[in-house]
Amino acid sequence: MSVISVRDLSKTYKVGEHSIHALRSISLEVDPGEFLAVIGPSGSGKSTLMHILGCLDQPTSGQYFLGGKDVSHLSDDEISLVRNKQIGFVFQGFNLLTRTSALENVELPLLYGGTNISASERKDRAMAALTAVGLESRADHHSNQLSGGQQQRVAIARALLNSPSILLADEPTGNLDSKTSVEVMEIFQSLQRERGITIVLITHEMEVAQYGSRIITFKDGNIISDTANDSRRHASGELEDLANEGETERVA
Amino acid sequence: MGRSLPTSWLIAFRSLRRNKLQTMLTMLGMTIGVATVLTMISLGSGAQKAIQDQVKAAGMNMIVVTAGNYQARREQPPDDAIEMGALNAPAAEGRPHLQLAAFHPEDDPFAIHDHPTARQRLGDVEAGLGAAATLTIADANEIRKVPGVQNVCEGVHMNVHVMNGDTRWFTRVHGDDSSLPSIRRSWTFQHGEFFSAREQRKNDQVIVLGTIAAAKLFGTTNPVGKTVTVWKQSFKVVGVVTSTSWLVAPAEGDDQFDAVYIPVTTLQNLLNLSKLNDITITTQSTGDVTRVEGIVTNVLRSRHHLGLDTPDDFSVTNLAAKALASGGLRPDVAVAVTGNVNGLEKVTLDQLGKTLDKSSRTMSVLLASIATVSLIVGGIGIMNIMLLSVTERTREIGIRRAVGARAHEVLLQFILESVTLSVAGGLFGILIGVVTAIAISKSAQWSTSVPAQAILLSFGVSAAIGIFFGYYPAREASRVAPLTSLRFE
Repeated sequence: MSVISVRDLSKTYKVGEHSIHALRSISLEVDPGEFLAVIGPSGSGKSTLMHILGCLDQPTSGQYFLGGKDVSHLSDDEISLVRNKQIGFVFQGFNLLTRTSALENVELPLLYGGTNISASERKDRAMAALTAVGLESRADHHSNQLSGGQQQRVAIARALLNSPSILLADEPTGNLDSKTSVEVMEIFQSLQRERGITIVLITHEMEVAQYGSRIITFKDGNIISDTANDSRRHASGELEDLANEGETERVA
Repeated sequence: MGRSLPTSWLIAFRSLRRNKLQTMLTMLGMTIGVATVLTMISLGSGAQKAIQDQVKAAGMNMIVVTAGNYQARREQPPDDAIEMGALNAPAAEGRPHLQLAAFHPEDDPFAIHDHPTARQRLGDVEAGLGAAATLTIADANEIRKVPGVQNVCEGVHMNVHVMNGDTRWFTRVHGDDSSLPSIRRSWTFQHGEFFSAREQRKNDQVIVLGTIAAAKLFGTTNPVGKTVTVWKQSFKVVGVVTSTSWLVAPAEGDDQFDAVYIPVTTLQNLLNLSKLNDITITTQSTGDVTRVEGIVTNVLRSRHHLGLDTPDDFSVTNLAAKALASGGLRPDVAVAVTGNVNGLEKVTLDQLGKTLDKSSRTMSVLLASIATVSLIVGGIGIMNIMLLSVTERTREIGIRRAVGARAHEVLLQFILESVTLSVAGGLFGILIGVVTAIAISKSAQWSTSVPAQAILLSFGVSAAIGIFFGYYPAREASRVAPLTSLRFE
C-alpha cells in the first residue's frame, strides 16, 4: 500500500483578480521506502506540492491520503498532530530556533503532540537522534555556533525524532557547499537504505535529484515525467572518492 | 488537550531565556511599576498611620466615662431639706418617695448636717467626678460590645502606701484593665511588662510601678520579680513604666508615673468593692468619637434603668478638646491642622478627626493613581515587546507549527511568556518596593508601613497585567499560519 496517495489534487491561489493554478489535478502514489526526487523550475508547483504533502497547506480540491488516511480536510488541531507524528521536515534554511542548543532544537517535536514524556526520556531520545547524525559532541552548541552542514544535520535529527512516515526535504542542500551537500545526501540515502524511511526531496538541480530512486519532473503545475532513476548517484561512494582526492592532493 | 502545564512553562521559559536582555528589560518595566506602587502605598499608609497615631496619641479617639454627674445638680434640687420637704407634697400622695433615704441613719430628714452625708459621698448620683458609685465592670463589658470601640479600660483610683521593706512611698494606686498600655500610647516599659489579661482574670497580686514610684522604692535597681506590700498584702512587681513622649516627662506627684498599677479585679477583690471610678474608651477611628459617645450613653442609661426624665448618673467626655488645647499634638501637625482648617475654634474635634481621615484618604488616592499609571506603563511595555516579538518571531512560530504545535499551544506559550515577565518583574518589584520603603523610613525618618494586602494586590495585579496585555499579542501569534511563517525570511 502506498504511504502517500494523491488523487486529482489541485491548488489555486487568487492574486487580485488572477487565479494562479499552482497544481492542476495531480495524482501520485509513493510506496514506503521510496526516495522520491521532485524536480522542476521555480513556479512549477513542486513547493506547493511539498506544502500540501507536509500538511502545511490544504488543497483546493482533490484528496490526499497519508498512510491510508485522508488528511486533506482535517481541522487545524488534527492536522497539527499529523505533522507532529507522521511528517519530518528538512528545509533549505534549516529553520532551527536561534540561540537554542542543538539538543533543545531536536527535542522540540516532543514538547508538542500531547505526549507526556519525562524530561530525561526526552533528552535521551534527542541525544540518540543527534548521535545518529554524528553530532552528539555538539549537543550543547547553539545553532549559530554550528556550520551549515551541522545545522542541517540537527534539522534532520529533529525531523526523525518522532519516527515519521515520511521525511520531506525542501532544497535541503540549497545553502550548502558541494561536499556538505554530499554528506547530507549520504545521510538521506542511508536512512532510506537502513531504516526504510520514505523520503520526498524537492530540488531544482538535476544533480541533487539524481540521488533519488525515482524522479518526478514538474512544469506549470503538472507532472510531465515520472521515472525510476537508472543512473542513481551514491553519496557514500562519492564521499570516499572525495576523501581519496584529498589524500592524493596532500601527497602531491 | 492532554498537555501538561509544566511543558508549556518549559516552552515559555526556554523562549524567554533565548532573549535574556529583552526579557530583563521588559521585566524591568514591570519591576519599576510594582516597586513604585508598593513604595507609594507604604509611604501613603505610613503617613496616614502617622497622622492617626499622632491624633490617637493626643487622645482624640478617647472617651472617658466617669461615675456620677455633677451637672445634674443644676436640674435637681440641691438641698436635702427641700427634698425631704417634698415628702408632704400632694404630688407624692403622702407616700415616701425616697425609700432608701429612710433606712440610712444619717438621712434623718430633720437632721441638719454640717458635713456631706455618706450618701452624698458615695452613692448619690449628684456626687462629683468619679466619686459616685454608679459604674460597674458589667457596664464596661457591655461597652466592649459596642461596634467601633477599640479598647475599654476600667479604672479605680485611690491613694495608698506602698512599701518595699522599710522604704515607704505614699502614692496613687490605679486598678486598671490589662489593656491600659494600648490606650496610653506614649508608654514604654523600662523593665518587664504590664500585667496580663490572665493575671487579671486570676486576681493575681501583681503590680506595675511608675518610674518615679520605682525610683523612690528601689532606687536604680531593677525591681521586676521583687515584692512590695500594699494594704499589708504582697504584690509581685512585673514591670516599670515610663514615658516616650517629651511632652509628658515623669515627675514626682504626677498621676501616671508617680503611681502604681494593679489589676482592677484584684483591687476590687481585696477591698471588697464593686464600683468603678471611671471607664476609659478608645475608638478605632478618630472620626467616630461622637457616634460612639452617643451609643455608650444610651447603653449605660438603659443598663442603669434611667427613665426619660432622669439625668445621666455618669458623665461622658471626650479628651479631644482637652488634648488639642493642651498641645498634645506634635507641633508640626498642630500647625498643619490649625493652618488648614478655618475657624478652628468652631470646629469640633470630632470633625477635625474626620477631616484628617479624609485628607489622608485623599493622599492615598493620589499616590495610588500615580502608582496605577506606572503599572499601566509597565503593562504597555510588555504588550509592546510581545507584539514586536510576534512579528520578529513569525519564523519561530512557523517552525513550532511545522513540528506540530497547535494554535492554542502557541497562544498559551505567548501568554505564559508575558505572565512570566510580569509576575517575575512584579516579584522583583515587591522586593525592591519593600526595601525602598524600609530604606526611606530609616533614612528620612518618615514612617512607612507595608500592608500585607498591598503585597498580595501587587502580585495579583502584575499577573493580571501579564494576561491582559499578553492576550492580544498571543492571539496574533496563534493566528500565524504555519505556511506563511515558513516563507518569512
